[in-house]
Amino acid sequence: MFKPTSALFSGLLWKTPWRLSAPQKARQRKRLRAVDRVVDTLSAALARNGQSTKAVERWYAEMPREEEMLPKDKYTIFDKKEKTYRKSIHKLPKWTRVSQRVNPPGF
Amino acid sequence: MSYFRITLLRSAIGLPRRSTDVLKALGLKKRMSIVFHPVSPSIAGQIMKVKEIVSVQEVDRALTKQEVRLERKPDPGYYIEKSGVAERNELSGQ
Repeated sequence: MFKPTSALFSGLLWKTPWRLSAPQKARQRKRLRAVDRVVDTLSAALARNGQSTKAVERWYAEMPREEEMLPKDKYTIFDKKEKTYRKSIHKLPKWTRVSQRVNPPGF
Repeated sequence: MSYFRITLLRSAIGLPRRSTDVLKALGLKKRMSIVFHPVSPSIAGQIMKVKEIVSVQEVDRALTKQEVRLERKPDPGYYIEKSGVAERNELSGQ
């Protein structure tokens, strides 16, 4: 039986869910922890030689760790066009390979 | 002197030109490739540019290409027995 849906009416239509699924959120947490681990390794290795680098210091000064982040910041990002000023993080291009942890000031 | 053992886990396709260039500078050409670099602030800064797509370990020495390959070699599941004479000569040689 024909069911008029937008997918059948137009040719190519990809539908992206508006929210993340539980496994997607779990993988997102895993990726956040992996980045934390890389930075920790760098910092520990440099500290052993009595060295340091600006990028690592800045990361520790500005970025929260995965366990310190609020669920809101882990799974959604700021968007001025949304009514609630938040949209799901998977709307961010290349979201599995970029670091997005902090909000603009005041949000 | 310790080294960073850097593995490229995710490809940089579609990422900014900067990330691709940093990977090239580090010598990472394809996914799962491994490179060793001495621990230094400049290398650490380069890794920070691509921290989302690599994994890093601190190791005591840099392995050669052959040694990295041997790590991937599976256990053959057998060993070749030697005659008593050959084994005795080998032990006495040590």
